[in-house]
Amino acid sequence: MEFTTQLLYPIDQVLLAVMIFSIMFGMGASLTIDDFKTVVRYPRGILIGFLSQFGLMPFFAYSLAIFFELPPAYAISIILIGCLPGGTTSNMFAYFARGSVALSIAMTTASTILALLMMPILLEFYTEEFTRQISEEMMLAGTGTEFVIPTSNIIMSLVLVLVPVAMGMFLRYKSPLWAKTAEDTAGFMGIIVIIYLIGTAFARHSGLMLQTPVEIYLSAISVGLLGFLFGYWMSRLFRLSPIFQRAISLETGIQNGPIAFAIILLSFAEPIQSQMLWLAILYSTFIVMTSSFITLYYRRVGKFDFEVYKNTTIHNRLFGDSYVTHYPGGYLPKRISKDPSQGSIPAQKRP
Amino acid sequence: MDNRILAENLAELYREAAVRYESLPAFATRNKELEWHPVSFRELYERGLDLATGLIQLGVKAREHIGLFGDNRFEWILADYGTQLCGAVDVPRGRDITEDEMIYIINHAQIKVAFVETRVLLRQVQKLKKELPKLKEIILLDPNAEAPKGVHRLDDIIATGAKLRAKGDKRADERMKNIKPDDLFTLIYTSGTTGKPKGVMLTHANMMSQVKVIPISLTCTDRVLSILPIWHIFERVFEVFTISCGVCTYYSNIRNLADDLRNVEPTFMGSAPRLWENLHQRILKRVSEAHPMRRLLFHTAYFLSRQYKNSLFFLFGRELRLKPASVIKRVVLSPLHLLRWIIVTPFYGFFNVAVLEPVRLSAGGSLKATISGGGALPVEIDRFFNYVGIPVLEGYGMTETSPVIAVRLEDHIVIGTVGPALAHTEIRIMNLESGEVIYPNANQPHEGRGQRGEIWIKGPQVMKGYFREPEKTSETIRNGWLNTGDLGMITFNNCLKILGRSKATIVLLSGENLEPAPIEMRLTQSTYIEHCMVVGQDKKYIGALIVPSLEGFRGDGTKAKSLEELVEIPDVKKVIQNEIKKMISISNGYKRFELIQDFRLVGEDFKVGEELTNLYKMKRHVITDKYARLIEEMYPADNAKGGKV
Repeated sequence: MEFTTQLLYPIDQVLLAVMIFSIMFGMGASLTIDDFKTVVRYPRGILIGFLSQFGLMPFFAYSLAIFFELPPAYAISIILIGCLPGGTTSNMFAYFARGSVALSIAMTTASTILALLMMPILLEFYTEEFTRQISEEMMLAGTGTEFVIPTSNIIMSLVLVLVPVAMGMFLRYKSPLWAKTAEDTAGFMGIIVIIYLIGTAFARHSGLMLQTPVEIYLSAISVGLLGFLFGYWMSRLFRLSPIFQRAISLETGIQNGPIAFAIILLSFAEPIQSQMLWLAILYSTFIVMTSSFITLYYRRVGKFDFEVYKNTTIHNRLFGDSYVTHYPGGYLPKRISKDPSQGSIPAQKRP
Repeated sequence: MDNRILAENLAELYREAAVRYESLPAFATRNKELEWHPVSFRELYERGLDLATGLIQLGVKAREHIGLFGDNRFEWILADYGTQLCGAVDVPRGRDITEDEMIYIINHAQIKVAFVETRVLLRQVQKLKKELPKLKEIILLDPNAEAPKGVHRLDDIIATGAKLRAKGDKRADERMKNIKPDDLFTLIYTSGTTGKPKGVMLTHANMMSQVKVIPISLTCTDRVLSILPIWHIFERVFEVFTISCGVCTYYSNIRNLADDLRNVEPTFMGSAPRLWENLHQRILKRVSEAHPMRRLLFHTAYFLSRQYKNSLFFLFGRELRLKPASVIKRVVLSPLHLLRWIIVTPFYGFFNVAVLEPVRLSAGGSLKATISGGGALPVEIDRFFNYVGIPVLEGYGMTETSPVIAVRLEDHIVIGTVGPALAHTEIRIMNLESGEVIYPNANQPHEGRGQRGEIWIKGPQVMKGYFREPEKTSETIRNGWLNTGDLGMITFNNCLKILGRSKATIVLLSGENLEPAPIEMRLTQSTYIEHCMVVGQDKKYIGALIVPSLEGFRGDGTKAKSLEELVEIPDVKKVIQNEIKKMISISNGYKRFELIQDFRLVGEDFKVGEELTNLYKMKRHVITDKYARLIEEMYPADNAKGGKV
């Protein structure tokens, strides 16, 4: 599928830029210095999260590109999405999915910083084959020189995106109340802009959604789903508590979409820019839906464990750190009977 | 999930709870802001047994009445355990008991032994000693207070009992075995809104029937925050219910409520409408003080939630149905509601998460539902909490029915009603004039649904009777049917809707009947009005006594330091006059004779224990007596001047 015209008009690009700015600003407004400290509190969780975010996700993205034989521009786009750090929306979903919000925030924070190092390496590693394809096509068309992944541009865009995050954090430091408003407003604006972009893309390129081959839809949807699934099983395999399993699962599948937009806009040129953007838009749209459903599902299956966790930790908050809660025999299922506080209170751990 | 303990009597329930829940916390009381002291089910039971043995040693007989005067604290529960475990009956009353009530209750209930909470209360009892010839032993509950000579300390009685038990004393266990379901567990003197206190006899079977059928599901991972007076049956039944479910009850009070909600994060709470009004105003105040962007977000969220829930309620047949359902209307409206629901859902989803969740966090964030009882919940407040996502289960009952008659179901809330009747409970709606059964009656259209009348009930929760008052008992209970004295109707989705007291009905000179409660409820929603009582029995028109809200006027910058000063300011009268005109008008759906023609400001707040019952219900006769002069002023022989609306 070829884009005969540009996917985004200049006005849309401005809007998108505003959206990226406000969402990243909102992300910063939700963070405090303490969140960086919590990273240290969950070394195991963070490590497993790191493995699934930067180990599994890029690999799945690459595999999908190979499996569905995606055109190179789409392939690079989906790999880019696979290599992204986690977004703040995952924190919200973790909260409602009765997962560990602290771990989710810590993972988002850690991965955003690590992305500066990991993204260029991973992109270089996984996209080699596809950049060669593009270069060959371009040679054949006689339009250009060799196509390479603009690594330094990507790092620059990442740094640029972190500026509003830092500004948001500064606002949070100055006025938590305003920061909360900024956060909500940013979330709301994000939704409006996404809806607008999809709407206009649909209206302008009539039939764009129909023209898009089914494998592109499938890869845009599955990359998130695979992240949820394997993030969950990986942390389960490593015997993390249910609340951490749910947080890691969501964190792995939900990527920071706005960063993808920023990188694509700032580092890639036509003819592949529109195609890459289209996939990013599709991913961002579908991930909201899939993670909503996953969250509702986790919310249901995690209800009992979470109530136990909550009640147990509140006992410690009110009765002191050394209080041990003994539930009636057979009340707790095996997965949490050894530690009803799910790893958050040392005293609650029993042999 | 829910496997509440069922037993034949309270003592057995307490024992089973100790066996099943052992070291889980049963009750927790707060020392400092974040320091709570838990007491386990086992510990409570063992100390209860010690106390029971100590009481037997003191000479307490089985089925004897023991006074229990005090408010919520751990020792209250312990005293109740001790009483139940030795097969006795407690006669509870709050710290705000008046001297007259104390004399009446102790003598009428023939109390020989009494628990007294504080030194202040103790002095009050000792002062009345001469008038309490039968009262022999007094036990002081407060562990930090010195007991004067001739008064026992709770700890000493427990210590005596513990020693005896260590030596093999099994008298308490014997007593427990001999408790019959028909024996009393408590004798509650109702503060009542009329007349002198009446002793309501409630049996173990009454209480156990409630524990068995309360349609709320709690488990030992739930937390209940308690703020209502424990000696009132609503709170009492609720605490016994939590014991049977293994739930820990955390004692709070109005002053610390906001902190406790945040720290304890209760999953369930029982309260009177007053608290919800309070919380509602606090939330609205915070919203109105927030800057415009946040306000906009909140109002958008609230609007969406209303659309979403209204459609949902319609689709599941949970709207208030006072008229028979029209099939055509349903067929036409259902697709429209479905469409609206589909469109609104994604937006509602976002706003529910981003905006309404923080609002819920101000109420602790973990509340699954709350129960409101002891008075009517204003419908606006009811809607507000349900839209915000804190479902309020409004219940209906009275001390005489120990107390629950009907309560909304968690998964089937019909706003504006008190839900369907409890299992095994029958409700009748009776015609006030003819005494005929309106509902259930096959000869009436729709079996009598949608018609108003007096509510009568029959069920296992109905009291044994009023203690030593057979005439009053037979006036209230006829052939097993208890007259609630309330007006109500059954809606078309089989819920009970309460429409006021049949006895509070004001009959005007013209013969028109009107319910003062809805008018009063409307008026007290004004930020300027704290309390209000509508009067006018046998008069030409209705008038109102109004206690203005000092806080409300302060918000407007008044300098008055007290209510007394406030009522002297001429502008205050004007503001109130405008509020009344605005709220109670023909265009707001009031009838001409329901319009308030005159009012008087009262410069003294209504106090609990005096003008108000513990559940903030007005004692109309007390207020009428106290302000007789003001009321008369409103009805001079010739036309009144000033204060007219």
